[in-house]
Amino acid sequence: MDTRELLMHLSKLENGLDTYSFTELNTKEANRLKKSFESFKNGLEEKVFGMPKPEPVEVSLKKTTTKPPEEHTMIAKVSHEIRTPLNGIVGFIDLLKETTLGPKQQELVNALDTASGNLMNIINELLEFSKLASGHDTFEKVPFNLKNLITEVAFLCETLITDSKVELCVHLDKNLPEQLLGDPSKLSQILLNLVGNAVKFVEKGKINLEAILKSDQQGKVYIEFIVADTGIGIANNKLQRIFESYRQAEDDTQLKYGGSGLGLSIVKEIVDRMDGLIAVKSALGAGSTFKVTLPFEKARQQDITSPRRPIKSVPRSLKHAKILVFEDNVLNQQLMENRLKSWGCQPFVTENGLYGLQLLENHEFDLVLMDLRMPKMSGFQITECIRQNKQDHIRNVPVIALTADLSITDREHCKKVGITNYILKPYNADELQRMMQELISESEKENKREISQITFDQTSSIVNLNLLYEECMGEKDTLAELVQLFKRNMYEFIGNVRMHLTNNDSRGIGFAVHKIKSSLKMLEAKSLAQICGKLAEASESAAYEALEKYYKQFLNEYPKVEEAIDIELNKL
Amino acid sequence: MKPKELLLAEDDPMLASLLKFRLEKEGYAVALMPDGKAVKECIATHLPDAIISDVMMPYFSGIELVDYLRNELKSKIPIILISTASNEENVINAFKMGANDFLAKPVSPSELLIRVNREIERHQII
Repeated sequence: MDTRELLMHLSKLENGLDTYSFTELNTKEANRLKKSFESFKNGLEEKVFGMPKPEPVEVSLKKTTTKPPEEHTMIAKVSHEIRTPLNGIVGFIDLLKETTLGPKQQELVNALDTASGNLMNIINELLEFSKLASGHDTFEKVPFNLKNLITEVAFLCETLITDSKVELCVHLDKNLPEQLLGDPSKLSQILLNLVGNAVKFVEKGKINLEAILKSDQQGKVYIEFIVADTGIGIANNKLQRIFESYRQAEDDTQLKYGGSGLGLSIVKEIVDRMDGLIAVKSALGAGSTFKVTLPFEKARQQDITSPRRPIKSVPRSLKHAKILVFEDNVLNQQLMENRLKSWGCQPFVTENGLYGLQLLENHEFDLVLMDLRMPKMSGFQITECIRQNKQDHIRNVPVIALTADLSITDREHCKKVGITNYILKPYNADELQRMMQELISESEKENKREISQITFDQTSSIVNLNLLYEECMGEKDTLAELVQLFKRNMYEFIGNVRMHLTNNDSRGIGFAVHKIKSSLKMLEAKSLAQICGKLAEASESAAYEALEKYYKQFLNEYPKVEEAIDIELNKL
Repeated sequence: MKPKELLLAEDDPMLASLLKFRLEKEGYAVALMPDGKAVKECIATHLPDAIISDVMMPYFSGIELVDYLRNELKSKIPIILISTASNEENVINAFKMGANDFLAKPVSPSELLIRVNREIERHQII
């Protein structure tokens, strides 16, 4: 038997082994089998080729990548290039949504929103996959809280479930260690992908997310994550191929469910790189079960933070709070945005330091959440820029740093650049909420403004048409036409403000006020102009209580003004 | 003689109608534009004799409009901006970008007429 033949048999055996551990698994056994095969193979190769192979770093299943690394680098570059303008498109659609839209326009914008969101997901997946495949992605080793991470993943996935007939259940082994050392963002990516898939393919029924401690020896733990659903399932002959890139179980999967077909190959790639194992069991119509076993190290005791009482209701001060988030990780961006929205905050998320600083110039924010490690401008640098700003409200905005690991020098650095407080990632939601609440209510106390009832000078008239009549050069028809336009303007204004109030859109109110200001001045409608002044002021600080109040005043006052206009017009 | 063409971008319909009424009385042909974007699309294919525009408009602000006109289209036609005053920075920006004139709201139509006439005459001399 020559060496070539031997190698062929060897690779056949390896393939067989892959298939074996795919279909049936007892992870520990499979792992041991893999390891012993690996060493057997290496030993054999050593004997045959007479030189030692480099030590096996990972227990790799058959590589999913078939493309050369350069090509993946290219894909990564291109996806990144596409993502930048697409980010712009998504941003502009958001702005468009804030403007006054007719029902048809609303529908079109929503369609645009969905389509660009889908495109963004596909590109992000592509980027992620090529980064992994080309080996450019680095894996972190930081302490993180496993329970928090799983809670976050569950929270995020629940926002994906639009149908009430689908239920997501989370079971956590009570023996799970609290703090682990590893890469939390990669773990959440695995879980999000698997649970996200389940959400996509389940029309009715349950999705289970389970985490079990499989073994715990000498500080090293193996944790098994199980994602089981009652969805459409995958046929047996298709099972082996679902981890290949661009491969979906059925040809029409793309049509029915969308997706790039990269999700599972990403998961597989990450699991491989983390020295873990993944297996799937499925039956058509009965659902699928994915099992992932990953090794982690246990973190030292001192890192463990004590659990605190959860806050049940969202405190008032967080409602409508404008929060600027600097974060470059797409998953974290999404997570933070959903989280803040669920608290009633208005989040603005960006990964671009300069753009964020520009946002701060143009909008008044209540708080900044800052990821410290970002490409281009770091969180420290951005905070320094904020603290050096000339305007008081920008310079004094509270900044909470979010970071995966905080060294002692970082702590000093935080103090030096003026970071108000910090929280470790993956963060405990309650802790973050409490911290934000404290900081926001503190700064609110400082500049709390009285909402005052406006009293009008009853002696002066509430409207005067003379000025406008003059401008019409005495043409009464033109004046009547203009007055008609004015009234229509006011009705539109009232409708718009009501809509903006329902949508918590203070900017929209500011804009609407601006639009009618000059008309009010031309008719010398002083009382209405005064109310509008207050509305504009309140809209700048997004003081919704005040906005509601002044809006009601406007509603009370306007009929009187209209009556006065009609009387004056008849007198002319 | 063909009447001079003006583009008027102002999203307050009452003010817009009043200004249009007065400008037409003066002998101009006035096209009303609902927002900056409409003006941008319009001037991309055909330049009027002058533009009068509100600064704060949806989609495309008056300032952006000046920038587009001067730096993209490289046109020197008169452009007069109107805005609720108070924002000095806006005014300075507008002039820096190359706006010919700036009027604070509420705009007096008579004053606007004089300024429009003046800018168009000046432009013709150049």
